[in-house]
Amino acid sequence: MKLPAFLLALAMIWLLAPTARASDAAPPVTVFAAASLQDALETLARRYREQTGRALRFSFASSSVLARQIEQGAPAAIFASADERWMDHLQERGLLAAGTRASLLGNRLVLVVPAARALNLDLTPGFDFAAVLGSDGRWVTGDPSHVPVGRYAQQALTTLGAWPLAQTRLVRAENVRVALAFVERGEASAGIVYETDARASTRVRVAGVFPADSHAPISYPFAVLARHDSAAARDFLRFLSSDAAREVWRGHGFGVR
Amino acid sequence: MLTAVEIEALRLSLQVALVAVAASLPLAIGVAWLLARCEFPGKTLLDTVVHLPLVLPPVVIGYGLLVLFGTQGPVGGWLHESFGLRLIFTRWGAALAAAVMAFPLMVRAIRLALEAIDRGLESAARTLGASRLDVFFTVTLPLMLPGIVSGGIVAFAAALGDFGATITFVGNVPGETQTLSLAIYSLTQTPDGDAAAARLVLIALALAVGALYASELAARRVRLYIGRA
Repeated sequence: MKLPAFLLALAMIWLLAPTARASDAAPPVTVFAAASLQDALETLARRYREQTGRALRFSFASSSVLARQIEQGAPAAIFASADERWMDHLQERGLLAAGTRASLLGNRLVLVVPAARALNLDLTPGFDFAAVLGSDGRWVTGDPSHVPVGRYAQQALTTLGAWPLAQTRLVRAENVRVALAFVERGEASAGIVYETDARASTRVRVAGVFPADSHAPISYPFAVLARHDSAAARDFLRFLSSDAAREVWRGHGFGVR
Repeated sequence: MLTAVEIEALRLSLQVALVAVAASLPLAIGVAWLLARCEFPGKTLLDTVVHLPLVLPPVVIGYGLLVLFGTQGPVGGWLHESFGLRLIFTRWGAALAAAVMAFPLMVRAIRLALEAIDRGLESAARTLGASRLDVFFTVTLPLMLPGIVSGGIVAFAAALGDFGATITFVGNVPGETQTLSLAIYSLTQTPDGDAAAARLVLIALALAVGALYASELAARRVRLYIGRA
């Protein structure tokens, strides 16, 4: 019974030993970012790593979830929110590193349907949302009580007069990507997501774009968090607004200021 | 005390859990019988499949249900086309998710009760002329009853508490699928939702404790029966 015991011990040591890395310099910068930024940020992180060799760690979720986690002490160095309100939430609590907050990106709000459905709508006041849903269909977006895309969606539908009906048929998703997934699967008749999310998916099509004045301007503030402020974090934030980065943002469909 | 939304979530939770347990009870008794009394090829496989919801991440179960029972899935699509029945985004889908998660607990409790029955009693009934069906309904089932009740109550509590499978399969629809767990989850992310979330947490706690206590009382009766038998 000696060999199995020895192998087991070896396995335990391998599992429990701290992993050493070749360039074990600074710990990776942790970025908490809105779900809609995932594809673009991952591309940018790869470029950044190629240029500087520094690794980044991401957590993508609804800005609401991330802001609450940061409030409770989550170890993020950078926060990228999909609306100003959640960044304000942290600023009011003194959690932002002074002078690092900047709003670089914009986006557009779109109504999407499963790709197989040919639908083109003019999203003007009084448009027929009931026709989009059908008799028993539901539509999906982020939970309007806290998810930014849901808030924008509620504003837009309210301006266009469709909210009273829409509210009764809404499925509330935890973030915009979950909402997108439901439409991709064909389970939801329609969804409201960002234009950038619709572009990232081949299984939905844009049925209409909400007029920019039907909702608050979509703005993505970025900031370094005071508790984990570091030169590495600030450097990455600078990189995100560099010319090379702007190319990437635009390539994904974000509006760049 | 409680807002309308919170009362809605509570009522929906109770309704969904009740439907889940009631609908899966006959199947649970059948499966427990198979596992306790029969030997057949694939028995271990059945045992494993039944216990999967206990060990798989609930989101995986929810995803599986989505693929199978969503309107684009094989079973869900058939239901939707043939009967106009939709499970996704409805309380019936929520009941299905809760039932799947609670099923192993029910089966375990009923199987234990079955295995504890003295087969001698059943043989005695047969020698006295009772048919197999008669034996089941007049001897076996009454002896199983405390186990069924105990299992049902634990399953009820588990069904009440399901989150991952429910939110992945039927989403968060207040009034249709927003059970207590989903409501608490939403509230903890809403800016001023902490107080409301705390209230619902206390209610969920009270329900869970009450259910487990009742289940324990029922289990004690089983032991009494075993003692007598």
